[in-house]
Amino acid sequence: MPVRSLLLRLAGLLAVLFGVSLIIFTLTYLAPGDKAMAIAHARYPDAMGFAPEILEGIRQEFHLNAPFHMQFLHWLGGFVTGDFGLSYASGAPVWDIFIDNLGETATLALAALTLGLVAALVLSSLAVWHVGGWVDRLAIILASVGAAMPGFWLGLLLILFFAAQLNWLPAYGTGTAAHLVLPALTLAFWVMASQTRLLRTFMLEAYGLPFIETLRLRGVSEREIFLRHVLRHASIPALTMIGLDLAGLLEGAVIVELTFSRGGLGALLAGSVLARDFPMVVFLVMFFAVAYVTINSVIEIVQDAVDPRSRAGGAAAARKSGAQA
Amino acid sequence: MQTATATAAPGWAPVSAMRLFLRRLGVVLAAGGLVALAGFWLTPYAPGGADFLNRLSPPGRAHWFGTDQLGRDIATRILYGGLWSLGLAFIVVTVGAVFGTLVGLVASRGGRVLDYALMRTTDSFFAFPELIAAVTVAGLFGPGTFNLMLALILVSWMKFARLVRSLSLSLAQRDFITQAQLNGLPEWRILWHHYLPNIAPGVLVLWTNSWSRTILAISGLSFLGFGVQPPNAEWGAMLLDGKAHMQTAPHIMIFPGLAVLSAVLAINLVGDRLRDLLAEQHQP
Repeated sequence: MPVRSLLLRLAGLLAVLFGVSLIIFTLTYLAPGDKAMAIAHARYPDAMGFAPEILEGIRQEFHLNAPFHMQFLHWLGGFVTGDFGLSYASGAPVWDIFIDNLGETATLALAALTLGLVAALVLSSLAVWHVGGWVDRLAIILASVGAAMPGFWLGLLLILFFAAQLNWLPAYGTGTAAHLVLPALTLAFWVMASQTRLLRTFMLEAYGLPFIETLRLRGVSEREIFLRHVLRHASIPALTMIGLDLAGLLEGAVIVELTFSRGGLGALLAGSVLARDFPMVVFLVMFFAVAYVTINSVIEIVQDAVDPRSRAGGAAAARKSGAQA
Repeated sequence: MQTATATAAPGWAPVSAMRLFLRRLGVVLAAGGLVALAGFWLTPYAPGGADFLNRLSPPGRAHWFGTDQLGRDIATRILYGGLWSLGLAFIVVTVGAVFGTLVGLVASRGGRVLDYALMRTTDSFFAFPELIAAVTVAGLFGPGTFNLMLALILVSWMKFARLVRSLSLSLAQRDFITQAQLNGLPEWRILWHHYLPNIAPGVLVLWTNSWSRTILAISGLSFLGFGVQPPNAEWGAMLLDGKAHMQTAPHIMIFPGLAVLSAVLAINLVGDRLRDLLAEQHQP
C-alpha cells in the first residue's frame, strides 16, 4: 500500500478525532446549568448554599470564565497528554473510575459475543446444509425477530420467566456468574440474530462460487468443502462485520446493563449524565467514539491491504452493501 | 421520470414486480390505517383516563389488553402510543434523510475541498453510537421528548449523506448526466430531474431501515427514562411505568413490548423486500 494514501488516511483519522472532540466539548459547553455550582455541590455535599466567592474561585480554578476556544484548547491539551481530569462527583481521577467499570462491560460484551457467535455459526451452518428446509426457515425467522426485538423488553421477559416465575437466577445486580447469565443471553440473542443473517448470506455466496463446483468434480467430499473452503470464505466478510457491529454491541451493553441494574460503563454513563459530572461524561463519550473510529479505520486499512479491489474508494461502498445484506 | 424508465428499460418484468409490491403495500397500509382510525373512534377510554376500581385487571372483554396500575386501558394506550413511537421516529428519520441527502449532494457536486470537509464532518458525527449520543444529549439538556428528537436527529443524517454521495458520484459518470450537462441544463434542473429520481429508491430503503432502528432507540431511551416521559403513552415509557408491577400483573409489560416488536418487524420486512426488488431492477 502506498505510503501517501496511508498518510492521507491517518490525516483523515486525526481530522475526524478533532471533529469528535469539538462536537463533544460544544455539547457540554452548551448544556444548561452552572458548572461551578455542580462542582461545588460535588465538593461539599452537605452544604445548602454557596458564597459567590467560592463559586468565583471554582470558576477561576476550572477556567470557566475563559472564552470558548480557550476552554476547548485547555481541555484538549489535557486530554491529549493523558490528563483526563477529576470526576466532579467523587473527586477521583476519571481514568481510575473508568478502569474500575470497564471490566464489567467487557465481560458482558465478550460473553454475549462468544455465545452469540457460536449459536450463529451452528445455526447458519445447519441452515445452508438444507436451504429452504425447516432449520433454514427457523434461522431466517430468528434472525428477523432478533433484529426487531427491543433488548430491554427481552431482558424484562427473561427476568419475568427465569427470575420471578422459576426463581432460577437472580434478576438484578452484579457479582456472581449467575448474575451474568440473563444479561449475556439478552445481548447474545441480538448478536446471534445479526450474525446468523450475515453468515448465512456469505456461506450461500461462497457455495455459488465456481471453484466449489470444480472441487466437487475433483471428488472432494462435501464435508471438506464446507469446513475448508466455504467456512473460510465466509469468515473474511463476517469478521469485518463483527468489527462494525462493535458499536451495536456497546450500545446493547449499555441498555442491557441499565435494564438489569448492573454496574459497568452504561450505568456509569447514565449516572454521570444525570449527576452532571461533565469530566466523566466527556471522557466516556470520547472513549466510545474514539474506539469506534479507530477500529473502523484499522479495518479499512487492512481491507485495502488485503483486497486491491476496494482501494479506489470502493471500501466504503463494499462495506455499505455488506451492511445492507 | 423519463430518465428512470430509460435506465430501467432492460428489466421490464422486475419493474412490474415492484409496482405489484407497492400496490399491495398500499392496500395493507390503508387497511391498517382504517383499523387504527376505527380504534381511535370506537374506544370508550381515554389514554390518560385513570380508573382506580379496575387497577391491574387482566385482559378481558371490557379491557382487551387489561388495565395498568392506574386502571388505564392498555389497548387504548398502545393505540395512542403508536402515534408517539412511530410518529416521533418518522419525524426524526425524515428530517435526518432530507438533511443527509442535501449534505451528500453538496459534497458530491461542490468540489473537492467542500467534499473533504463535509465528509470528515460526517465521519465525526458517525463516531457517536446513536444511543450513547442520545443518552448524553437527553441527560445533559434534560430528559424529554424534544431533546430526545434533537439528539436522534443529530446522529441520524450521516448514513444518508454517505449513501447519497456515493450514489451521486457514480451517477456523475453516466452518459445521460453528461448529455444533460452538454445540453446546457442548469445545475438545479439536473439535480432535480436526473439526480433525485435515481437517488430516491436507495434513500427510501435506507429510510425504512432507519425508521425501524429509530423506533427501537426511542422506546429503549424512553424505557430508561431519557426519552418520552410517563404518563405519555409511548410504548417504552409504558414499560417503564409498569415495571414495578410486572410480577403481579405480567400483562402490563407484554403488550407494549409486543407492539414495538411487531412494528419494527413489519417495517424491516417491507424494507428488505423493497431492497431485494431494487437490487433485481439493477441487475436484470
